[in-house]
Amino acid sequence: MRIDIEHKLTLSLQPGTVHAVLHLLLTPPSGPSQTVESWSVEIAGIGNAGRFSDAYGNAVHLVNQSRPEGDILVAARGVISTRDTNGVLGKPGGEPVPSLYRRVTPLTKAPVTLYGKFRNAKESRLDVLHALMGRIGETLGQPETEDAPTQMQATGEQAQSQSSGEAPELPPAADYAHLFIGAARALDIPARFVCGYVAEGDGPAAGLHAWAEAFDDRLGWIGFDASHQLCPTERYVRLAVGLDAESALPLRTVPVGDITQKAVVKAV
Amino acid sequence: MADKTPFDEMYNPDGSVREPYRALAGWLAEQPDKALALMQTDAEAIFRRLGITFAVYGSDEGTEKVIPFDVIPRIIAANEWRRLSKGIEQRVKALNAFLYDIYHRQEILKAGRVPEKLILNNAAFCPQMMGLNPAKGVYAHIIGVDIVRVGPDDFYVLEDNLRTPSGVSYMLEDREAMMLLAPDLFHRSKVAPVENYPENLRRTLESVAPDTVRGSPNIAVLTPGIHNSAYFEHSFLADQMGAQLCEGPDLFVDGGKVYMRTTTGPEQVDVIYRRIEDDYLDPLTFRPDSMLGVPGLFDAYRAGNVTLVNAPGTGIADDKAVYTYVPDIIEFYLGEKALLQNVPTYNCTDEDQRAWVLENIADLVVKEVHGSGGYGMMVGPTATKAQHAEFRKKIEARPDNYIVQPTLDLSTCPTHISGDVAPRHVDLRPYVLIGDEVRITPGGLTRVALKKGSLVVNSSQGGGTKDTWVLED
Repeated sequence: MRIDIEHKLTLSLQPGTVHAVLHLLLTPPSGPSQTVESWSVEIAGIGNAGRFSDAYGNAVHLVNQSRPEGDILVAARGVISTRDTNGVLGKPGGEPVPSLYRRVTPLTKAPVTLYGKFRNAKESRLDVLHALMGRIGETLGQPETEDAPTQMQATGEQAQSQSSGEAPELPPAADYAHLFIGAARALDIPARFVCGYVAEGDGPAAGLHAWAEAFDDRLGWIGFDASHQLCPTERYVRLAVGLDAESALPLRTVPVGDITQKAVVKAV
Repeated sequence: MADKTPFDEMYNPDGSVREPYRALAGWLAEQPDKALALMQTDAEAIFRRLGITFAVYGSDEGTEKVIPFDVIPRIIAANEWRRLSKGIEQRVKALNAFLYDIYHRQEILKAGRVPEKLILNNAAFCPQMMGLNPAKGVYAHIIGVDIVRVGPDDFYVLEDNLRTPSGVSYMLEDREAMMLLAPDLFHRSKVAPVENYPENLRRTLESVAPDTVRGSPNIAVLTPGIHNSAYFEHSFLADQMGAQLCEGPDLFVDGGKVYMRTTTGPEQVDVIYRRIEDDYLDPLTFRPDSMLGVPGLFDAYRAGNVTLVNAPGTGIADDKAVYTYVPDIIEFYLGEKALLQNVPTYNCTDEDQRAWVLENIADLVVKEVHGSGGYGMMVGPTATKAQHAEFRKKIEARPDNYIVQPTLDLSTCPTHISGDVAPRHVDLRPYVLIGDEVRITPGGLTRVALKKGSLVVNSSQGGGTKDTWVLED
């Protein structure tokens, strides 16, 4: 499938900001499930950006702006061709050792009630992961089918405070991913957070999305979207990975400002 | 360690003088009454003049203290030093190899020689460092190894300091003061120089500049600022090396490179000897509330445009729980047995060891795994019964949070105590520089517990320092 993506972000900083530094994870990688046909990132100062790979293998742009006037606009766009691999990515090179993704972070803590029964499971790791995805779906319910731009930064804590409200909102995709990752890591299975795009079709709404990937010694990395109870299909485009949502954020800045973003994702 | 008389570095048990101290003993015998007391007064004046003071946290502004300096040097024989420095070199090489490994393929974890959880879920492990290749493969360029001596041939490593070890300015000033106070003493012995430390530091820093740097690299010392207790040392070292001393706001990142604001415009910086902790280095990557760091600095480092000294994440190698594995680490990477011993350490997560520890706590030293500077620590023999009970409870509640060691009878050295000379306990922190080669300054900083019988040498707890001599053949 060929997928056309246009991801626009707007950063609003306090007036009078002297120096802004932006860390962009806005370059999708080519890999077993996708090939980047064309891609560009536009922002004032991109020509002078620092470019490098981060600890998780993401391509990073470091952009700085002096005395920015008004909002800072970022646009990433391009065409990605995807293949359906049933979520299986294998063991591509150029990535950190999978065991790194057993590290527990504050965002990826799961209650033992979620994974306890899989502790001494006789099933294969793959079966355990599928069962875990099902269990998270039962625990959190089905998410609303709106797109998730602002939900990317939601934390487990926010989800909790939301669910204690009168009309509890269903947790956003990032929370499903965090729970899945936390539970997998508690079972000694490396798991990581993926930030990416989804084209329209069954399942999640088109736009920015988040899911998880877990490592199987035989098959390598496999995607799991617990929010929609499926393994990524050819409609999914991987953008960035990390230990949790924080390390895979498309845009991180100093000083911190308000970020609004929207991704228009279409099959072409 | 069961022997109650500590090893004295100057006198044998029969009262005869040990070889390395012969010249000193002769000199001491010749000194008229009150000479040492006069020297002590002069020393104080010298240190005030040199400006070596340290700020005491929590006291009124402007309260600057001089760390007590003892006028009797501590002496290490050439052959003793050769052994020690070989052991130190082995250790720092292995620790750097360990850092490279855990931030790349993690072979030592795969081999099960160090438990994976101990590393991966350790607060001192820095995941952002994964896959980064520091210049020359060196992570910890400046290491202070804390060593204690308990016998003629028995040295133990108490702690490896791979973050931002301090105190080297005291080593340098102690020597300078000693040469002013007793120039004649230096004529009687051949003492290895320490004055070239700043030059060696500079060479080390230059040798790890990014490959892209042409010509002489631009070096900066990054300090948290004047309120830091080691600010004097930061400015002293910058001055001695001819490097710029700067604070976070003096630096900025542009196009993935680091620049210093100067009166003649921005100047690119190639190597940063940073004395700011990892967490505060860069609010974009680490603590977002840091006001001390430089936004984008870590990214510039990852992009290969600047070298940070020491690298972030080196603390994983001096973690107290990792310490117990250092002999295994040396074997794993170098295929050699450790030349320097570790202090035997009890693992409280083991039930049998824990039971033994709880029973014998009055004789033991308990340290919090992530504590430092003598905080969160209990020395059994000098602690009260209530403290013993408190730490028993703490260990039972969180056995993985503590390491327990026997109380070591640190060696003693003759020390000037109000007109008299008496033995006092000492330790030793040699300073190691690692760049294109390993450079170990002969000797290091000797800290001395001035209170009779005390084993606590920390300056915050009444410890002083001594000039440390390594004799040359």
